[in-house]
Amino acid sequence: MIEFQNVSVQVAIPQAGGKNSSKTLLEGINLTLEEHRVAVIGANGSGKSTLLRTINGLVAPSSGQVSVNGLDTVKDGKKVRSQVGFIFTDPLSQLLLSTAVNDIELSLRAKIKNRGERRERALALLAERGLANTAEQSIYDLSGGERQLVALTSILALEPDVIVADEPTTLLDLKNKFLVGRALASLEQQLVIATHDLDLAAKADRVLVVHEGRIVASGVPQNCIDYYWELMSK
Amino acid sequence: MNKVFCLYVPGDSLLHRLGVGWKYAVMAAMVISGVIVSAWWFTLSLLAISVILVLLTAVPPRFGLQMSWALILVAVLLVAYQSFTGKPLTGVVIAGNLIMAVYASRMLTISTPESVLIDALISAASFLRVFRVKPEKVGLAISIMIKSIPMLLDLFTGIQQAAMARGRGRNLAAIVTPFVVRTVAYAQETGAALAARGLGE
Ligand SMILES: Nc1ncnc2c1ncn2[C@@H]1O[C@H](COP(=O)(O)OP(=O)(O)O)[C@@H](O)[C@H]1O
Ligand SMILES: [Mg+2]
Repeated sequence: MIEFQNVSVQVAIPQAGGKNSSKTLLEGINLTLEEHRVAVIGANGSGKSTLLRTINGLVAPSSGQVSVNGLDTVKDGKKVRSQVGFIFTDPLSQLLLSTAVNDIELSLRAKIKNRGERRERALALLAERGLANTAEQSIYDLSGGERQLVALTSILALEPDVIVADEPTTLLDLKNKFLVGRALASLEQQLVIATHDLDLAAKADRVLVVHEGRIVASGVPQNCIDYYWELMSK
Repeated sequence: MNKVFCLYVPGDSLLHRLGVGWKYAVMAAMVISGVIVSAWWFTLSLLAISVILVLLTAVPPRFGLQMSWALILVAVLLVAYQSFTGKPLTGVVIAGNLIMAVYASRMLTISTPESVLIDALISAASFLRVFRVKPEKVGLAISIMIKSIPMLLDLFTGIQQAAMARGRGRNLAAIVTPFVVRTVAYAQETGAALAARGLGE
């Protein structure tokens, strides 16, 4: 369960003349997320990424508090991050090593100390996702969809309870969007996904509409998507 | 996608069989002596040796010796700049050392699996324990740098082409400024990716 209690995020903007002004990225967020799949929709710059990043403590609230399974995302940041897997928009930023298998081994380092065993497990995890052929390839030679699936495999190797994905299909073509969308839909874990793909959002159990740092609608997908259409076409 | 470092190519050439320590030593000796001696004839000889070393890995020459446009541009700019300040031979030394360093490191990366390269660095870095630095962290940092190079070169090429498309291809500031900004953003993303993987702290 993910809980937001009166969460606001402000950042200081340095101004000429020395005085700082501040900008509000999120304001007055109160949410309890228990649904299996939650989609977050909103225009560019509306605050989706900031909202998602508060869930694993990458962004700390300026006031209020976010908790995951009762753990405070700031105070228990390390523990929270071990329970919350985060998928970035660009897998090339997310993948830290140059081949798929090495990257997955990196995720397994804390759990499996024996090298041979670790490699075997990494290869098995790739094979489970139909990615066996990508194991030794340079991540730069993979298709966008394969890269995103490798990133997902790498995060799943950490065995998180919650997956947070920030526009994971935005950079992909239609075919790869479906591929990655299906992989995300089949996850057992709770999923919070920011997306511009309204078809993907429609399949969620709950949709949140973010607008100028606030949640302006929340609930059944179709109602929220209709509301979002209206809001954007004004 | 640009490739300065060529990744490991399996094989059984002399260099593949040579211990990784020796290869690191050869590479380091070449780069360091090139910088210290700083003479055009010396740099050009080293450059020739580095080409021979790449060829000795028995990969196809066109693969092993390929050069990225970004690197050629940097080399040409270096020579041009030094010629402009009246020291063309200094330009040859700096640009030659740069290309020689790329080939020397390529000799190493083509003939050695990445895991072996990094393990060797980790064990070489064990002395850092004295300073409470974990050698594994050094290894990880280096692996991430290696991974980032093609990305950064691609970024550079992209920005350079965008500048050219607007007729500002010769304006260094128009290329360097967005490159620095984007590199910083990329570094921040990498930091976030590390933290998200529980490796940041
Ligand atoms: N560290 C920061 N400093 C200043 N402004 C920021 C920072 N992070 C995000 N913003 C701004 O906050 C707004 C919301 O950003 P973001 O959460 O990334 O939106 P989205 O993901 O919906 O596009 C944007 O206007 C963005 O420019
Ligand atoms: Mg975003």
